[in-house]
Amino acid sequence: MKKPVIKGDTITVPSHPEYLTDVDAFLEGTLRGFGAEESVVADIAISVSELVNNAIVHGNKSIMDKKVTVTIARHNRAVVITVSDEGGGFDPTCVQSPLAEENLMKEVGRGLFIVHSLMDQVQVEPSQKGTRVTVTKEI
Amino acid sequence: MRLIDREEQNIVILSPKGKIMGGPDASLLHDKLYECIEKNKKRVVIDLAGVDWMNSTGLGILISSYTTLRNHEGELKLANVTDKIRSLLTITKLVSVFESFDSVDEAVKSFK
Repeated sequence: MKKPVIKGDTITVPSHPEYLTDVDAFLEGTLRGFGAEESVVADIAISVSELVNNAIVHGNKSIMDKKVTVTIARHNRAVVITVSDEGGGFDPTCVQSPLAEENLMKEVGRGLFIVHSLMDQVQVEPSQKGTRVTVTKEI
Repeated sequence: MRLIDREEQNIVILSPKGKIMGGPDASLLHDKLYECIEKNKKRVVIDLAGVDWMNSTGLGILISSYTTLRNHEGELKLANVTDKIRSLLTITKLVSVFESFDSVDEAVKSFK
């Protein structure tokens, strides 16, 4: 397994779920350095794990050579995190509601819904070169 | 995630520890559940006291466990659901699916 690449406020990992723990360790360490409360750290960590999972599975189609990049920055009282993949992009309006009765017992399909619930702002920018999702949360 | 299992009054208590975020977490719990079913132990409590947080993959694992046991005429109950996990169960409406208890003892007693 290749090692994750960390440069300043950015971590880049191959498209494999085993790297979720590396991203989480980097993220939580940085957030605690910012002085974020544990509850906020958990909300952000949950959301970023969803976005990285989506980037690996739906964006990069689990092709190990394609990378997922996570960047974290602090702007005043807010943390801004960007998750980028190298996939073909997707239409966020096509995502079904996980609250619909027919979807309630499905094992998948709640990731982006949870991100929207936990973060203050979510911006999804799909393109043919990949999808970039930026989330913001006050700490 | 780590997984500790024990038995009390013929009821299996599974205690995951750490964070449930995907990767090998799903197969760990799934394999243990099938091991229990093969031994005809189909009444299971998942004790969430040691889980820091989970994401949608974790919720998917709970749903899969619930459905698998129901399909084998078994039953799944949750114990010690933390505030963070309860919040996720609430916003996803899954709180109406799972029976949950404040302690493992209460969950075990509820099977009688």
